[in-house]
Amino acid sequence: MADKAGKGSAFPGGNDLGSLKGKSAAALKESHVEIELSDSDGEGFIETPLPSSKGKSSAEAKSGKKRVSFSSLKTSGDLGKSSNVGKAGGKGSLPQATPLEPLIAETQLKLELELPKGARLLMDCEAAEVLQDIHEHMTVLSQDPKIKMPESFSKAFQYSKVNDHYNNAKAVRQVLETLKLNAVTDGEICLMGNVCPENVDEVYALIPSLKGNIEKNEVALKDAIASLAKFRTPK
Amino acid sequence: MFFHITLERNMQLHPRHFGPHLRDKLVAKLMKDVEGTCSGRHGFVVAITGVEDIGKGLIREGTGFVTFPVKYQAVVFRPFKGEILEAVVTMVNKMGFFAEAGPVQIFVSNHLIPDDMEFQSGDMPNYTTSDGSVKIQKDSEVRLKIIGTRVDATEIFCIGTIKDDFLGVINDPGVTA
Repeated sequence: MADKAGKGSAFPGGNDLGSLKGKSAAALKESHVEIELSDSDGEGFIETPLPSSKGKSSAEAKSGKKRVSFSSLKTSGDLGKSSNVGKAGGKGSLPQATPLEPLIAETQLKLELELPKGARLLMDCEAAEVLQDIHEHMTVLSQDPKIKMPESFSKAFQYSKVNDHYNNAKAVRQVLETLKLNAVTDGEICLMGNVCPENVDEVYALIPSLKGNIEKNEVALKDAIASLAKFRTPK
Repeated sequence: MFFHITLERNMQLHPRHFGPHLRDKLVAKLMKDVEGTCSGRHGFVVAITGVEDIGKGLIREGTGFVTFPVKYQAVVFRPFKGEILEAVVTMVNKMGFFAEAGPVQIFVSNHLIPDDMEFQSGDMPNYTTSDGSVKIQKDSEVRLKIIGTRVDATEIFCIGTIKDDFLGVINDPGVTA
């Protein structure tokens, strides 16, 4: 069931594997990084079917899926070259420098696709608020010795508090939501909120997928960055 | 990155728990079973925020246990390739350094550390620039980019890089204000 769940979640990935015709089977196997296990993982989880994402998956197929393999990272730190591991099956072919930007752009698309329907991305500041409420409830419940606070909750709560750079999460969300009119995806908005950029160069360096629509979004991004600065908590 | 998602799970309950507090017992069991777990698809289930629906129970033949389909909402944490995270360094060695961002472990190989930083062994192993201005050691805060993920049964492990622009040390605990 876990395997089926894994395959179900890789629905766009399945299309992508189909688009990798011509690449060696070994390269395909090598390029599959994520290993989804196990009984506890699959049992009891009913996977809701993904919404029809044919439009996006075809966009992914057109962009040409390439994955970076871990074995290539061991031998070379140069990611531009390492993406050729999957591509250059034969010995005689010349290495071709493949830019990293398409990989990242695909990831941003993937952010939307891999999640089940109705999933909502939370910025760290929003997560901090939600987890703070839960923490207050848990503090009362933890007086019962049978109830133990999970370690991952404590770590995630601590992480969200440390990375909460704003004093008003709702206002930040409102400011960043306006960027959707400029072809900025949910994932990119969330990343921007978490990164707390100081200028537009930083945004384009850290979120390269935004460079694709630079004419559409540059002015809006500059305005958003200026607005976000007002809500930043002083360090 | 944090997500707020709706999940569904089949919960099995022993008949001894039946009674007026059935729902509470089901929710308590759900929290105990799910919170703190890690799933390959959704990542770490950090906390359950609410129970949306509990369906009709189905008696399992032969055992007497009853299976309830439970729909619930949860905050999950899952890293993705290309994501930028601020992590705290937990260990430094000559192969690179390990860092933690929430419940997720990230390894940054020395190949993905800027070339002008070299490993310095000693009581407090670290990576330092040639002029000593920037240091990465235990408890340093670094901004890194995730370039790969691996999912285990109970944890997600990532590979990161600090070799790109706007990545690297944010806060060095060794520097006095």
